[in-house]
Amino acid sequence: MVEEIQHLRNIGISAHIDSGKTTLTERILYYTKRIFAVHEVKGKDGVGAKMDSMELERERGITISSAATYCEWKGHRINIIDTPGHVDFTMEVERSLKVLDGAILVLCGVAGVQSQSITVDRQMSRYKVPRVAFINKCDRAGADPYRVVKQLRQRLNHNAVLMQIPIGLEGDFSGVIDLVSMKALYFEGPFGEEVKTGEIPSPLLDEAVAKREEMLDAASLFSDELMEALLDGSVREELIYEAVRRGTLSRQLTPVFIGSAYKNIGVQPVLDAVTDYLPSPKEVENTALDMDQGEKEVLLSSDPGDPVVVLAFKLEVTPYGQLTYLRIYQGTVGKGDDLVNTRDRKKIRVGRLVRMHADEMEDISSAGAGDIVALFGVNCFSGDTFTDGRLNYSMGSMFVPEPVISLAISPKDNRSDTNMAKALNRFTREDPTFQSRVDEESGQTIISGMGELHLEIYVERMKREFRAAVDTGIPQVAYRESISRRAEFNYIHKKQTGGAGQYGRVAGFMEPSEDGIYEFINKVKGGVIPSEFMSAVDKGFQSCLKKGLLIGFPVRGIRITVNDGQYHVVDSSERAFLHAAIGAFKQAYSKARPVILEPIMKVSVECPCEFQGNVMSSINQRRGLIMSSAEDGVFTTVEAEVPLAEMFGYATTLRSLTQGKGEFTMEFSRYAQVPETLAEDLRLRYKEKSKRSKA
Amino acid sequence: MKGFLEVSPLKVLEGSAYKGLGKGNLGVLMARAGVGKTSCLIHIAFDKLFRDEKLVHVSLKDAPEKVSSYYSVIFSDLVKALSIANEYEVRSLLDRNRIILAYLKESFDLNRLRKNLRNLVQEVDFIPDSLIVDGIDFAETSRDIFEGFKTIAEEFDLEVWFSALSHRHITEVNERGIPFPCNKLDDFFSLIMQLYATGSGVFLRLLKDHDSEAIPDAMVRLDPDNFLAMD
Repeated sequence: MVEEIQHLRNIGISAHIDSGKTTLTERILYYTKRIFAVHEVKGKDGVGAKMDSMELERERGITISSAATYCEWKGHRINIIDTPGHVDFTMEVERSLKVLDGAILVLCGVAGVQSQSITVDRQMSRYKVPRVAFINKCDRAGADPYRVVKQLRQRLNHNAVLMQIPIGLEGDFSGVIDLVSMKALYFEGPFGEEVKTGEIPSPLLDEAVAKREEMLDAASLFSDELMEALLDGSVREELIYEAVRRGTLSRQLTPVFIGSAYKNIGVQPVLDAVTDYLPSPKEVENTALDMDQGEKEVLLSSDPGDPVVVLAFKLEVTPYGQLTYLRIYQGTVGKGDDLVNTRDRKKIRVGRLVRMHADEMEDISSAGAGDIVALFGVNCFSGDTFTDGRLNYSMGSMFVPEPVISLAISPKDNRSDTNMAKALNRFTREDPTFQSRVDEESGQTIISGMGELHLEIYVERMKREFRAAVDTGIPQVAYRESISRRAEFNYIHKKQTGGAGQYGRVAGFMEPSEDGIYEFINKVKGGVIPSEFMSAVDKGFQSCLKKGLLIGFPVRGIRITVNDGQYHVVDSSERAFLHAAIGAFKQAYSKARPVILEPIMKVSVECPCEFQGNVMSSINQRRGLIMSSAEDGVFTTVEAEVPLAEMFGYATTLRSLTQGKGEFTMEFSRYAQVPETLAEDLRLRYKEKSKRSKA
Repeated sequence: MKGFLEVSPLKVLEGSAYKGLGKGNLGVLMARAGVGKTSCLIHIAFDKLFRDEKLVHVSLKDAPEKVSSYYSVIFSDLVKALSIANEYEVRSLLDRNRIILAYLKESFDLNRLRKNLRNLVQEVDFIPDSLIVDGIDFAETSRDIFEGFKTIAEEFDLEVWFSALSHRHITEVNERGIPFPCNKLDDFFSLIMQLYATGSGVFLRLLKDHDSEAIPDAMVRLDPDNFLAMD
């Protein structure tokens, strides 16, 4: 067992769907002897690759949840978090990236850098994750790793440097030339488990020398010793490793490896790269927020002897109960220890501590700083921080985007009703971007998320994992209301019908605020509203934001200033001022020219160039605004901003427009005012719905 | 947007024969590396956008994200310099009137550009008034390409602005006083401008003004921080 933190690696394997990352993971587990047979992702043998632990993932051939697993390679322990490749699961990706120290960016040797690779790479940059790149599928027709390297440089802005060149390509792809050792590597045995080295085939020698020069030039920028060695002709392999490692850790260099996981070529050198070039937890700066010092940022030590700081980054339901994945940032967690949840200060006892291997597990007695493990039977939310009670640190709230789409669901039968509730409870704990509520008027259960596919997957998971069959309604856009100009209010709430009276006057104005936030400004002078009632006034206004008066959607981007009022020594109360604020809001809202806002998505469509016109036309028909179009070889990427309401069913449309060759990703960009004709339509529909619910 | 037009670098054209480039014509802005060629070219783009004209920015070197960030940075400078109050509205208007076409990894050819422009006109109803072309290597580009651009300018009724990189060590100048790299191509261009820096600032001057024999002694001094015309 490897214990030293410098020999630990926490890595992710992140990429576009169908780049072959699950196959790569499967081969890694095979070569590190964690598994003893390999399977395909789409499982012709009915078994499926190891990392796709959910039945649904097996069926679709894609990875949805991050499953953690570990392996050992040449004296190093590697924890692998398999991350999803579709933008609808952004939260999953972001959570995984938060706990990673490094990543393998898998790219398809044929399709190259695709739209989703760009999104995932942008996320990795945000979390400052160093990466090595693996250009997969070099055995496929049309594979061109040199083109992909260029794309890495041009489209992802990586200082990408080839560490290998291929021996043959497409059907002739048979091995790689390692530019550090200047040896040819061949992968023999039934599953490529035997790495054989040989001399560089003579037709490739000149190319290898030239590419090595390029690699050395790039690496020498990170090492004076290598620079000097280059000048006096005494370059040693250790100097190259050290220089490339420095460049990679500083995220100014991306070493690129090539291979075909499916054909068992080039996987072991990627494992070497993980241990050689990616950081140990000690080499990564992690910070927490000290809640006792006003959320002051503090540096964590990565020392197993220091007080414990642990992040619960992933929850999963298993047949044995809730499984909580933890990243230990500091200290050591052992079986039987008590941990304190920073969010609610509740204590938990560490019962079963396990190391995960996809959906199998190994019991362990303790784990130290830097490690990724899982706990059983802990009641918490994803993103919670635990300490041993000596510190009151939080790993910080991860950015949670607001859901943009919702769907009404109803159980098909009684059994499904109970199971649906269980499923929703589980999913909302697992994924903060997935929300669920019961609509007060219709009594329907509404689920909300980041896209059509996001919700579809959860509906299917309900059916498969929880046996909850549900009917779904039509997806609804998360509209918002706001105001477009300043309006005054001066409202008296007065009630004198037996018993204690109620009196409160609230005066001031409302106006649009920036960035969609709510602000409450107290400018009351001379105690005309006693300070103890001001929080009730604020609460009264906030209660009105939950449901706007135009179409019943939440109100955003509003600043309320209260500058006058009046109270009564006997009849004024918090309740009276709360109602006065509600009255004041209603009085001013319609005068403030309220508007309806809709979510605008940043859409990126990738397709062969000949379909550019079709794609542009389809975006234009959806009220989209074309921002740009980039031609890169035979592919075009059209970037546009499109209202979410117009994007339903776009996947199907795009498939038919591009003969199945186009694909798109989208992410929330901003809220924008809906056109007047549509606003009128929404207002009418809301009126009709209100009438129906009253009747 | 009157504020911008009064300080636009294109003020240099006030004394010119036609006060501008004109549709169907090609114009070029030449400068040495590092003087601010791309920034000045984007200021020319803003001159068009602030006139509520539609513009296509063609980039042969940078991805759309990078081009877009150039525009954002320059727009932020303009917001400060011109105290633009309704920044969000102005920006939305400009975004509506600009589309970036990028041709990465030597993907550019005139037929592709023509097809892309046709798609914009026919599929999106985006009828551009101007084309800004950045990233063409004038020293390596054949006359055929510029002939092609001239045809496109006429076919789509556009004015087309290019940037050209000149070099300190190449001092060739043709008989009409046009320096390298435009010395052998000047017949294609109706306007040729040169951006240059001296100890006393950054200047933009006119080297060719349509068919006019007498080049007006026009020169504007630009603020090196924001490329707006000074004085």
